[in-house]
Amino acid sequence: MTKALKINKNIEQGILEFLKLLLKNGKVKGVFTLKKINDEGSIAYSLITEPEELNNAVPFYPLMPVNAGKLLSRFTLKGSTKEPVVAVVKPCELRGFVELIKREQGSLENLFIISSTCGGVYPTNMAVDGTIEKNLSKYWDAVKKAEIPAEIRPACKGCVEFIPYTADITVDLIGKKDIDKQFTMLLNTKKGEELAEVIKGEFLEKDLDKETLDKFRDKRKAEEKKLFEKIDSEMKGISGLVDIFGKCIGCHGCMRVCPICYCKLCEFESPDSEYSPSSYESEVKKRGGVRVPQGVLYYQLGRLTHVGISCVGCGACDDVCPVDIPLATIFKKVGESVQKMFNYIPGKDVDEPLPLVTFEKEEFSEVEK
Amino acid sequence: MSKVEGTPITKGAIISTKLNTNESIIEFLKKAMDKKVFDAVLVPVRVPAGDSFAYVLIEDKSLLKDAAPLSPIMSVQGAKAISGMTKLGKGNMKIGAVMRPCEIRATVELTKINQTNLENITLISMDCPGVMPISDFLKDPEKSMKIYEDAVKRSDDKIMRPVCQICDKSSMVSGDLHIGTLGAKKGTFFIVSNSQKGNEVMNKLGIELKDNVDDWRNKVQDVFEEKHKKREKSHKDLKAKTTGLDNLINTFSKCINCHNCMKVCPICYCRLCYFDSDKVKHTSEDYLDQAERKGSIRFLPDTLLFHMGRMMHMSLSCVSCGSCEDACPMSIPVAQIFSMVADETQDLFDYVSGRSLDEPIPLVGYKEDELHEMEDAK
Amino acid sequence: MKKDEEFNPKILAFLCNWCSYAGADIAGTSRLQYPPAILPIRVMCSSRVDPLFILRAYLGGADGVLVAGCHPGDCHYQEGNYYTRRRFMMLKKVVEEVGLEPNRFRLSWVSASEGQKYAKVATEFTGKIKEVGKNPAINEIFL
Repeated sequence: MTKALKINKNIEQGILEFLKLLLKNGKVKGVFTLKKINDEGSIAYSLITEPEELNNAVPFYPLMPVNAGKLLSRFTLKGSTKEPVVAVVKPCELRGFVELIKREQGSLENLFIISSTCGGVYPTNMAVDGTIEKNLSKYWDAVKKAEIPAEIRPACKGCVEFIPYTADITVDLIGKKDIDKQFTMLLNTKKGEELAEVIKGEFLEKDLDKETLDKFRDKRKAEEKKLFEKIDSEMKGISGLVDIFGKCIGCHGCMRVCPICYCKLCEFESPDSEYSPSSYESEVKKRGGVRVPQGVLYYQLGRLTHVGISCVGCGACDDVCPVDIPLATIFKKVGESVQKMFNYIPGKDVDEPLPLVTFEKEEFSEVEK
Repeated sequence: MSKVEGTPITKGAIISTKLNTNESIIEFLKKAMDKKVFDAVLVPVRVPAGDSFAYVLIEDKSLLKDAAPLSPIMSVQGAKAISGMTKLGKGNMKIGAVMRPCEIRATVELTKINQTNLENITLISMDCPGVMPISDFLKDPEKSMKIYEDAVKRSDDKIMRPVCQICDKSSMVSGDLHIGTLGAKKGTFFIVSNSQKGNEVMNKLGIELKDNVDDWRNKVQDVFEEKHKKREKSHKDLKAKTTGLDNLINTFSKCINCHNCMKVCPICYCRLCYFDSDKVKHTSEDYLDQAERKGSIRFLPDTLLFHMGRMMHMSLSCVSCGSCEDACPMSIPVAQIFSMVADETQDLFDYVSGRSLDEPIPLVGYKEDELHEMEDAK
Repeated sequence: MKKDEEFNPKILAFLCNWCSYAGADIAGTSRLQYPPAILPIRVMCSSRVDPLFILRAYLGGADGVLVAGCHPGDCHYQEGNYYTRRRFMMLKKVVEEVGLEPNRFRLSWVSASEGQKYAKVATEFTGKIKEVGKNPAINEIFL
């Protein structure tokens, strides 16, 4: 049983009050969370130091303009933060941050993490035309009933890792019908308990409701199965891959928004991936014709071998792709298979080494039959 | 002649054809390959799935059956294709590359900064009707093909990229050869040459450049004047909506810093962009400091810095192709804004990007006696 | 290709300098027969083989790729081949999951004295590749 704090306030107001108190009481110097940044309702992550600025914060808004794991890594890239900061992020963003920490791209020191059981986010293009606002009440209705809202990211529809592993505080949202009146924060760590001191509430011993969440996970698993089966039917042989990735324009947006892709100079933008004219000419002689610039499949399959082991299935790649390639489904499917092979869940445990930088002396004997 | 064209071209060839524009250009390329004038051609080809087009370097003529020189979309900016192929040096194959005028202008700009080697490449442009935004095309590729062909026939540009609709350089000749369809009598098209290389190609093909092309030039001038007026008005309206700090911040408020616009831009060739480098990576103390000064900052900050910085870096070479706007996942009118600024920065130096290989980019040269109005400006 | 023309596979083999390359050498000096399908590339250790090399070879049209190294525990650099094993398994899984043919790739442990084993692996693998068939990637234009 975990220590928990029940706050008898509506979730939207209550969480803001909590964050304001954290600033006012000096528990943290800054709050990192989603915020409405203008009158037209544009929403972006913000670093907030002034309590009144939190009035426009929307911590659990169903939008992920950028995977916050990438942002937290940038915040702590040059060194851990010397002042305490609290960040409200979604489970996949937290897992992305943990995977980056394993690659020495950030630090959890002095960072307090608040996360939640996550109902999913809408694709970013729905933020462009204001559709998310119109869908908000439908979204929360679905979350309260532990159902999957229509039109969220495909990656979210099929996500089974909606419970954060390493948050200091987990806000219980899925299946909680009464979050308009009260909400419960599970205080997973001593750091979480320390934060909870600032706000009045009812202390409990409580865990997340296993039965509700297991049923919900089954629903998400069923969606995932559907997505994987559809893409499997299209990925048959090299011609299947050419069909799926044919419209790729090589913008590398997927690589840029991916939390796992942190390389200062990506392999596929480095001299290794530049082709001499003689290389084009020999390919033309071999095949009769060659696409210019070449290397689209090499980039996609190559990136799969690079990030598959740590893919957290956030779906940022899907949203940024200008030609709507179902990247998140492909990377999730391949990623989960590779991870299963090593019994690895990315982002679960910051002390667990990455599978490819460690080994067992006896394993994979099927290599040599 | 309009000031955007260099030396006016007065003579060319009038070619008779029973085919449409795409097919005529393909026939021309086939003949050139048959006569070994070109060893290979670079032209957009429909992908096997039918939902896009990609540049393909073709030696096997049978692959030309899916070629579309006037493809309905611009998936990869042609200058990126040319520089991808020749950045590391010149090729040995003689290649004929068919591209839109803006793609050739961008190629010219890239050549000025050593990102291409044009030695064995013949650049062929055509009068361009514009391209559709990729996201519109993808809604229904089959239907979009027909919609595009239909719009081109009727000279209707409402379905094209916003910057295509206000492009006044859609017939600009800055490559070696140009296919002119404007002003041509039914069943014919013009070919004009803009360089020694172009002349030699026509010579080897046995096509004399002795016909009068006034019909083409006059129609090009008419279209230029009409589009130029449209462009000025559009820029005026856009300025009112997007200039001033508040308007700028709002326009770019949805930006997620994916840098797609930079990546697909043909002019942005830097392997490691300044705005991806260490220079924009700060310590947590710096970020918290900034946050304290304002009470709250966007994270990551410096969105406007990226866009305005990029403007400063590339606007002198911007060809208003619109690839950036197509690639933006948040539908920000990047191309329209950047073209508007580019027109003004290029005007400052009487420069038109990609007009001629002999014109150096303004910031790599200077005159001792110029721009005095900028000094101590009140 | 004529219908009755035999398919002669092109198989790229990455052989580690200390064990498998020496083993292949022994196969040669012992005059052991095996099909001439293998194109050897010597690397200092099998862990030098980046999965990207294998991908490039496959997309470039190689019908098969063989990676051979020292037996686990005997790596000249102590641990290299343990990493090779993991990377190779990861690559095979990726290839399988995207619908390509994972049995075009093989990892094998061949020591410096195992000329016989090298010839056996080469023969077996070439036979396998002949079954799988010519790599269709070599005809693809939109790679």
